[in-house]
Amino acid sequence: MPRVISYAEAVNEALRAEMLRDPEVILFGENVSSSWRPATKGMKELFGRERVRDAPITETAFIGAGVGAAVVGMKPVVELMLVDFGLVAMDQILNQMAKTTYMTGGAVNVPMVLRCIYGAGGGDAATHSETLYGLYAHMPGLKVAVPSNPYDAKGLLITAIRDSNPVVFFEHRLLGRMEGEVPEEPYTVPFGVANLVREGGDVTVVAAGRMVQEAAKAADTLKGEVSVEVIDPRTLVPLDEEAILRSVGRTGRLVVVDEDYERCGFTAEVAAVVAEKGFNSLKAPVARVANPNIPIPFNRNLERHVLPDADKIVRAIKSVVK
Amino acid sequence: MSSDLSDEQLLDLYRVMIRIRTFENGVKKLIDEGKCGHVSLSTGGEAVAAGVSAHLTAEDQIGSTHRPLGHLVAKGGDLNRMMAEIMAKSTGTNRGKGGPYHIFDKSVGALGANGIVGGSVPMCAGYALANQLRGNGNVAVSYFGEGASNQGGVQETLNLAACWGLPVVFVCENSSPEVQRMLGHEIDYPQLSIDNVGDRGATYGMPGATHDGWDVEKVYAVAGEAVQRARRGKGPSMLEFKIHRLGADEESPYCPVKCFRDRLMSRGVLTEGLDAEIRDAEANKVMEAIDFAVGSPEPELIDAHMGVFVEDD
Repeated sequence: MPRVISYAEAVNEALRAEMLRDPEVILFGENVSSSWRPATKGMKELFGRERVRDAPITETAFIGAGVGAAVVGMKPVVELMLVDFGLVAMDQILNQMAKTTYMTGGAVNVPMVLRCIYGAGGGDAATHSETLYGLYAHMPGLKVAVPSNPYDAKGLLITAIRDSNPVVFFEHRLLGRMEGEVPEEPYTVPFGVANLVREGGDVTVVAAGRMVQEAAKAADTLKGEVSVEVIDPRTLVPLDEEAILRSVGRTGRLVVVDEDYERCGFTAEVAAVVAEKGFNSLKAPVARVANPNIPIPFNRNLERHVLPDADKIVRAIKSVVK
Repeated sequence: MSSDLSDEQLLDLYRVMIRIRTFENGVKKLIDEGKCGHVSLSTGGEAVAAGVSAHLTAEDQIGSTHRPLGHLVAKGGDLNRMMAEIMAKSTGTNRGKGGPYHIFDKSVGALGANGIVGGSVPMCAGYALANQLRGNGNVAVSYFGEGASNQGGVQETLNLAACWGLPVVFVCENSSPEVQRMLGHEIDYPQLSIDNVGDRGATYGMPGATHDGWDVEKVYAVAGEAVQRARRGKGPSMLEFKIHRLGADEESPYCPVKCFRDRLMSRGVLTEGLDAEIRDAEANKVMEAIDFAVGSPEPELIDAHMGVFVEDD
């Protein structure tokens, strides 16, 4: 019988497997030794407080320390308790982590993973709920992985840790308890290869992270009415443009869904790729379902109001197939 | 002050200082002739770079600033490839993609200059963390200026290094010891709330002190203690050195080269003849570096597209 574990447990297994495999893999961040955090639970006990260490609440210092450790060849996995907190450490992330490889002409590289917990839906307002992967994907030099399910969480994280480049790895806070089939042994999910979540012929829906579940729900809601194809790119950098273009080539219609801000973000990027390279196959304007450039409000009703969900995706699909 | 250094060690320090000054004077000449773009020189800081690096091996790391040339030369950086990088050539340390503000020479642990004020300091904690975990006894030295000492990342890193007991030495070069300046200009409000940055060490739980940075023997002595402390696993220290940013000549009483030369002459360690010999030898190295850089090709346009990511096998 296939084994079922949670998304957070899958992350934990990936970390554990890589730390067992490679003594140069180290883990640090705020509270990573805590027993109440499932993604890192038991790691300190297994690997000791040297390799699994708590950092002071100083993101610039400890993210920068991750960059430095990576420059001299270690494989740091640095945890950002919430992606929003990374905004105080932009120099270390967007200058040092992202650009050092290029600026040194390859004299050094930065094999580091920055694990970011992200996402809205918890009623925590705009400094504890953001998505922000568009911000990181914008900067040349960073790979960006956005697993939408437990299987991908484990496989993408192992790929990320083995990558010689800096990877920003996004774990949605509401997906932590999501369960799914996950093999016990270590395995990799390659970067830049999209996952076909639902097959369909009328419209292509591209969604990342938690929005993949909402897009799948929308597809299931419309079963028998509209045949919806759902594509999960799994990594935003590199982006599997081919899979998106192939699908739109068959369906002729595109809806892009994203929890991140709409302006200059992932939805804009996918729409631009299709406009540039797949324009002739489009039968209708591209539709986007994203946060309409509004900081996440605290009030739950207001928060729901600005976030994409299955109902909004259904409406967008109907608008492009009508 | 006198030290326990042998004559040969004293002369080695002197050679490094002359190498830095000659290299930077060479760069200044290239700037004046319009042969390279803007470069921030470290003239006046030679004693700090030489006195600190004398305690370091190629396995020890340094992180530097936007005035990195002295630090990099003292660490043993390849003069030819550094000069080529300054001239944006394909043979440069960074293949012409980083420029003087971002020179890295990994082969000697020069990890690296940095264009962001204070930007290299958190990374030095990472070098030190790797040293600590690997148990190799290596030490990281983090150079920054008095302006950078106010940056959040620098203060955060002082705290982190103390919390984790990291083998790192923080070296602050304060180039405005009497009148507070920013970019060479006097400023209406002070940028430091205290006189001595070295005093900040204590507030982060590490030894901190302030010294004259134009006296290479003093620098050598106090840096030796801090580096040894880090090597023995006793944790970080902070050293502040007051220096004066100078021109190419050696007239100022704060010129580290002049101070040291006069002292070595009076002790009979250095003679006019030996001094000329040392300067000629260093000038030849710098001339060779300039020839190498001038004779090197520009990068190909296609190179702009390469190396954003490292290819994995």
